Amino acid sequence: MKKLLPFLLILLSLSIRPLRGIPSEYHYPLSIPLARAQEFNFNRAYSDYLFNYNQYRQSYNEYIAAKEAYLSYQTLASKNLALEKTSKMLKDEDGVIRTYLTALRMKLAETTGISNDEQNILYLKLDSEVGWYGKHQASLSSAATLEDLVDSAKKMADKYQTTEILIYQALGTILSGKEINFRDQLNNKIQQFKEKIGEIRQRGDKETALAERWLLEAENRLTRSQEKQFAAQQILAKMKSSDSNKNQSYNKAQFAIEESHQYLKEANSYLKEVIREIKSAN
Amino acid sequence: MPTEITNQDFENIPVGQGKKTTFVFAGIFGSLLVLLLAAAIFLSFQQGQPIKKIETKPTPTPTPEFKEEIIPPSPYATDAAILKLENEIKSLDQQIISADLKEASLNPPVLEMKIKFEK
Repeated sequence: MKKLLPFLLILLSLSIRPLRGIPSEYHYPLSIPLARAQEFNFNRAYSDYLFNYNQYRQSYNEYIAAKEAYLSYQTLASKNLALEKTSKMLKDEDGVIRTYLTALRMKLAETTGISNDEQNILYLKLDSEVGWYGKHQASLSSAATLEDLVDSAKKMADKYQTTEILIYQALGTILSGKEINFRDQLNNKIQQFKEKIGEIRQRGDKETALAERWLLEAENRLTRSQEKQFAAQQILAKMKSSDSNKNQSYNKAQFAIEESHQYLKEANSYLKEVIREIKSAN
Repeated sequence: MPTEITNQDFENIPVGQGKKTTFVFAGIFGSLLVLLLAAAIFLSFQQGQPIKKIETKPTPTPTPEFKEEIIPPSPYATDAAILKLENEIKSLDQQIISADLKEASLNPPVLEMKIKFEK
C-alpha cells in the first residue's frame, strides 16, 4: 500500500490540473465534475450564452419598470428598487458579453483553416476582454447609488466600443478560416491532378492540353478567391472604435467573403471538367 | 231585288259556330306567340354562348430521335486514382455549397448600455 501511495498522489495531482487551452476565466467551479467540464465545447458555450441573454432580457424589463416607478413616485422604496434592478441588469449584461465572447472563442477553436498564430492572438484578446467584464461585473456589487451605476454603465459602453471590433474581427476570422480550409483542399486536389496529368502526358496515350487549361483556370479562381478574402480582412482591420456603424463594415467584409466563396465554387466546377476531359477519349 | 237584312237575320245566325271560329283564331294566335317566344329565347341563348373556335391541330409529324452523345471513354475512365479524385471532388462540392458564410447565430447581442434616471 505504501508503494502505491506516491503513484496515487501523482494521479490525483494530474486529475486536478487546469484544463489545457482554456484559461481560468472559462473554468467551471470545482463542484462540477471534471467529466462535465471536459465536455465544454461550442454548443455548450452557445447554450450558456443564450441562457444568459434570456436572463438579461428579463432583468432589462424589470429595470425599465423600476426606473419608471422611481421617476414617477421619487420615493425611497422605489429608489432602492431601481438601484437593485439596475445593478442586476448591468450584471446580467456583463454576463451576456462574457458568455458570448466565450462562445466565440470556442467557435474559433473548432474552426479549421485558421493559423495557430492568428488563433492565439485572438484568444489572448478575447481572454483579456472576458477578464475585464468579469471585473466590471464584480465591481457592480460595491455601487451604492444610482449615479455610481450610471458611471459604471458608461465605462462598460466605452469598453464595448473596442470589444465590438474584436467581435467582428473574430467573426471575420471564422469565415476566412472556412474559406482557407476549402482553398487548401482545392489546392491539394489541383496538385494531385497535376501529378496525374503529368503521368498521362508522359505515357502519351491521351491528349492533356485541355485538361491542363481547366486546371490553370481553377488555379486562377483560387487566386481571385484569395484576393477577395484579403479585401475582407482589410475592411475588418480598418475598423475603428469611433465608427458609428461597425455592423455595416462587417457586412461589407462578409459580402467580400461570399464573393471569394463564389470563386471557390467555380474552381471546383473546373476540376469536374478536368475529370470529364481525362475520362473521355480524344 | 235586294234582300233586306234585318236584325232578326243576325239573330238567326247560329251562336255555336261564331264561338268556334274565335277559339280557332285564338288558338292559332297563341301558338304563334309561343313559337315566337321560343324562337326569341333560343336566339338569345345562341348569342350568349361563346363562339367555339375550331382549333387547328398540327399535322402529326414523327418525333425526331434524340441520340445521346456517347463520348468514347479514355483509357483513364476506370483509373482508380481518377475515380477517387472524382469522388473527393463531388464531396468537396457538397461541402462548399452547404457552407454557412453568415454565421447568423453568432451575431453580436443587442444590448442597451445607456442608462439614465431623468425624465
